[in-house]
Amino acid sequence: MEARSKLTVGLPRALLYHRYAVLWRTYFDALGIDTVVSGETNRAVAEKGLAAASDEMCLSLKVYLGHVEALIGRCDRIFIPRIVDFGIRRVMCTTFEGLPDIAANIFRDRHIDILSCNISVQGGIDEKDGMIQMGTDLGYSKKAAKRAYKRALAAQRAADEAAAAAADQLYKSDGLKIAVGAHPYVMDDDYYGRPVLDYLSEMGVTAIPAYAVDRREARKVTKRLSPTMKWEVSREIAGSLAMHLDDVDGIILMSVYPCALDSMVNDMLVRKFRDSGVPIVNLTMDAQSGTAGLETRLESFIDILSMRRTGKAAKG
Amino acid sequence: MKADKKDKRKIAFPMIAHYNDAVRYFIEQGLGQTYVMQPAMTRRTMALGEKLSPDMVCTPFKTILGSMIEALEAGAEVLIMTMGYCRLGYYGELAESILREQGYDFDYVNFAEYTTGRPKDYLKAVKAICPHVRPAKAMGALRAALDMVKYIDEVECQYYMNCGFETEPGSFKAALKRFYRDMRTAKTRRDIEAGYENCLQTFERLPIDKGPNALKVGLIGEYFTVMDAFSNLDLEQALADMGVEVHRWMNVSHRNLDYPGEKNLHVRIKEYCRYEMGPTSTANIWKAKKYAEDGFDGIIHAKSAGCTPEIEIMPVIRNISEDYKIPVLFLTYDTQTATAGLMTRLEAFYDMIAMRKKVIQ
Repeated sequence: MEARSKLTVGLPRALLYHRYAVLWRTYFDALGIDTVVSGETNRAVAEKGLAAASDEMCLSLKVYLGHVEALIGRCDRIFIPRIVDFGIRRVMCTTFEGLPDIAANIFRDRHIDILSCNISVQGGIDEKDGMIQMGTDLGYSKKAAKRAYKRALAAQRAADEAAAAAADQLYKSDGLKIAVGAHPYVMDDDYYGRPVLDYLSEMGVTAIPAYAVDRREARKVTKRLSPTMKWEVSREIAGSLAMHLDDVDGIILMSVYPCALDSMVNDMLVRKFRDSGVPIVNLTMDAQSGTAGLETRLESFIDILSMRRTGKAAKG
Repeated sequence: MKADKKDKRKIAFPMIAHYNDAVRYFIEQGLGQTYVMQPAMTRRTMALGEKLSPDMVCTPFKTILGSMIEALEAGAEVLIMTMGYCRLGYYGELAESILREQGYDFDYVNFAEYTTGRPKDYLKAVKAICPHVRPAKAMGALRAALDMVKYIDEVECQYYMNCGFETEPGSFKAALKRFYRDMRTAKTRRDIEAGYENCLQTFERLPIDKGPNALKVGLIGEYFTVMDAFSNLDLEQALADMGVEVHRWMNVSHRNLDYPGEKNLHVRIKEYCRYEMGPTSTANIWKAKKYAEDGFDGIIHAKSAGCTPEIEIMPVIRNISEDYKIPVLFLTYDTQTATAGLMTRLEAFYDMIAMRKKVIQ
């Protein structure tokens, strides 16, 4: 017990941390494991990531690697889960399948100790099994690991429901509303996504994260919209956007270069939503430009939305 | 439905390497329909696809879309599209949406729609192609078609290992061309077997001069690009023409037909990876390590631009390169990649591995 309680696990504040922060932190906390989370993404973290990564990797993975590096020396083990799928047509991007091994190979000479858990429903191990397995591998009893997971799951669900409820309120608010279709790790990244949201807020626009939604419902909607779309988070975002076409003035599809999923999904969404008449703008961020230059595009997009709204009001 | 029993449907499949002949065999001999073979891919195919595709999608989507258009131009009424891991599984739906928007009229059988976890459900896709399928005839033709796939893979494997050392210029190419022609015109299983036997016997007869120190290069990489000569700008032939023995494990026989028999493949790379990293990752990492262990002179990793799984194994391949002191050339193909640039890099790589071999000896 003594040795165990001294374990400190590092959580990179990037990629799926933005989706599972509550689940992971509550889980480790319930087991009595200390956690340390890397700081917000800033230029230094991003540059470290860019230097460590292969050139062609997507920006979000590069940023993630910067966060991993930032944790080296600050914890005993770094938590890098492998999350493959939650069933048929409920798969994650390949990046999350390879993540522990990508990090292990990139930082091979730094001898980092990676704590992982394996989640692949089609491979016969679901989230519950995977996280309980990790607990028992760490030396805890199955009972303790189960309890920790149960508590963590309840906390994460509550957080997700609260986020969805908050989004529902925003859809009902007055003023210009824009749904943002973006992976949580793009939108909520402090260096790349956050400035866009801040800018929208400065312009008096209500930006609503599409990912904050009743996920099951959103997936169902996507099944009708695009039957073979198979990526879990893409399906939630696509479904959410489709559910709220009448509630918003416009849609921003925000992506990082080069996102494999968005390269196809966002193109499909533009096609599918064309008849709705809701204006859509695609924003792609890469390491060089960051958010510079995006403001001009956002400004003209907001102008269009305002004009449409005035036009509608005049007609109505 | 146009599928009257007497009325044959004109069916096509996107072009990939030389496998379309096996698809043709199954459609014609197994289902009794007409197969429409589009012309071999050219820059035009790429340009057609690129114009209508999203910018950032991986290159095979663009070539596949282009070859679908060329199939429709050649008179196809039904397009078949495959399912797949990675983005390939979504190719079908997006391609259909793009083609319909362009006003093309066709029936579409997208195997991705039949992915349910039960492989048997793919039979429903076959029924959608041909409602009056006769199971025994179809199964017989399918087995023959799969054998054709294996023969194509075996013949190409032999070809690229040896053609760089022929003493009668063009002799291997002539035999290969004849084999492709035999597969293209095969109407019975016997035709397939005869074409294959004939080609292997010819290969054995043809004189080669390999010498004891021939350079050996192993090719790994992304499923489509590494197998398809048009997509990789005839990489294997270019290497062979420099006098290199070219090995490539990745093909449909190895990765699809025989793969379920490759038990615990990931155990063979456990010093590099704890898990499987992606659909072709484990095989590529294993082969890279194997080529290194077997004393190859170099490894070439070929992929299309934006291929996430292959981008993500690059750090592993680099570690293998470092551990085994084996040079690796990484090639990324997009719609702009041209032969001249590729040849410069290949020649430099060749010079380097040739020089290393001399120094080491």
